[in-house]
Amino acid sequence: MTHALAIDTTSDYLSLAVLKGERPAGSRYLPCGVKATQIVIQEIDGLLTGAGLTAHDLELIVVAVGPGSFTGTRIGMAAAATFGQVLARPVIGVDTLQLLAAQTEPAADVTFHALLNCARDEVYHAAYRWNGVPVALGPIAMTTFGELHRVVGEAPVVARRFDPAPANGEDPLSRFDPMPLRRPHPDAELLLELGLARYREHPAGPFPLPQPIYLKSEAFRKWRR
Amino acid sequence: MAPLASDPLGLAIDTTFDDTSVAILRGKREVLANLTLSQFKDHEEFGGVVPERASRKHLEAIQPLLAQALTRAGVGFGELDYVAVSTVPGLLGSILVGLTVAKSLAYLLARPLIGINHIEAHPYANVLAHGELPFPALHLVAAGGHTLLIHQTGHFQWSIVGRSVDDAAGECVDKVAKMFGHAMPGGPAVDRLALTHAPAAHRFPRPMLNDPGLDFSFSGLKTAVLYYRRDHGGDLEEGPVLSAFFDAVIEVLIVKTLRAARRFRPKAVTVSGGLAASQKLRAAFEAAAAEAGLRLLYPPPELCTDNAAMVACLAAHRYAAGRFDDLTLDGRPNLLD
Repeated sequence: MTHALAIDTTSDYLSLAVLKGERPAGSRYLPCGVKATQIVIQEIDGLLTGAGLTAHDLELIVVAVGPGSFTGTRIGMAAAATFGQVLARPVIGVDTLQLLAAQTEPAADVTFHALLNCARDEVYHAAYRWNGVPVALGPIAMTTFGELHRVVGEAPVVARRFDPAPANGEDPLSRFDPMPLRRPHPDAELLLELGLARYREHPAGPFPLPQPIYLKSEAFRKWRR
Repeated sequence: MAPLASDPLGLAIDTTFDDTSVAILRGKREVLANLTLSQFKDHEEFGGVVPERASRKHLEAIQPLLAQALTRAGVGFGELDYVAVSTVPGLLGSILVGLTVAKSLAYLLARPLIGINHIEAHPYANVLAHGELPFPALHLVAAGGHTLLIHQTGHFQWSIVGRSVDDAAGECVDKVAKMFGHAMPGGPAVDRLALTHAPAAHRFPRPMLNDPGLDFSFSGLKTAVLYYRRDHGGDLEEGPVLSAFFDAVIEVLIVKTLRAARRFRPKAVTVSGGLAASQKLRAAFEAAAAEAGLRLLYPPPELCTDNAAMVACLAAHRYAAGRFDDLTLDGRPNLLD
């Protein structure tokens, strides 16, 4: 029996989910802007209470490690790391591109791309194939919208943008072939699925504290999956 | 919530700027651990603190530092009676790291959360060093981006009666030190040179000294050094110039503090913040306070710079008064918002 909590504060949404004895036992997906710090602990408390759990019942913490909002990513990771430290429980990190890719479930021979815009003219992207969970075919990369078509080609995509699409003109993300989604949002229930899958691969650990993914400038160049 | 402990064990976190600090305090004065991880080396190549880099370093440092502080204090998480954290002022991204950790701790341990104003905490370094403050007290806080005169009539009852209208004194010293090629923070280098060199004959301006108010200004002084250096480039002797410059900074601080003391008649004057670690400033303040018949308090150098022990000390007073915060506590970058 596994009780687990998933935390994602990498975007403008606070996304939380709790698993009680292998079953989803509640979730939150709330617009919070820059106020994740203000509400995250209270919402976790409400979620656990609603599920009939306390924090001390948790056996696993899953957290989104970016790429995304730098400050937002740190808030979720600071909370998750502290939960792991105080409760002496493993913390599993999941990147947001894999989370995005988990929104869909294509046939095993389909190569598809997850796209996440990170600035007005730039996008994070990675290629995946499905094997129970989305399996990355390479590291997360960052490129311009202008270059993206060359990278993605005609492959289907699952895409997300943090900020609203341009009011005037075409959204560059809409030029690609969108995949059917099994879930409307890359939320923390999906995060739990991915974290749990990774945990079950190596339930005895070790569980090094996950590191945030900051993809920009020199951090982008130095970082490797 | 458990009943208040008579001799509480508190944990405090400070991540307001570029130092990650964790302290554990027994009662109001017994420091069991006070660990600070400085980021100066991480920002050296930029000539100043890079906010995004500071936030990243706090996230890297905070969990290991918590573990080390508990080990140093010989206590476990479960023994803590409260969790305190600095929430204002500072770099918001950095504050949010410490705040989120502190909230998580308070929630998991079911202990009170106490949000602390970092500036209000600086004078409490004197409580750790000397015992309870006599009120009313007048505080000169010369810390990082702030130079403030604070009139305090009781715990949690204080008002700012003077402040820098532009650069803070410490900021001015750092920038002038940088002009002469010294790494951040420049205060120790300027203090060392000022102690070992007689001041140059040139008299740098004492900004706002003739203004009857209690506010400070240091931007013009910095510019005066810049122009002096430009005009005397090749012949310049660093030590005497920096000594003369530092004399100007110290004189302004002392004159304004004594002016405030005459107005508010405090039972003690305290000096705290990074600049209070300066030996030259301390000696000058001691002489001035003795002549004015004032009781002067300043902390040991290790408690002048940012540290979580002073935060814990103020938090212990808040704990005793039952003044807690809830889990929606937020951080603020600006002191005066």
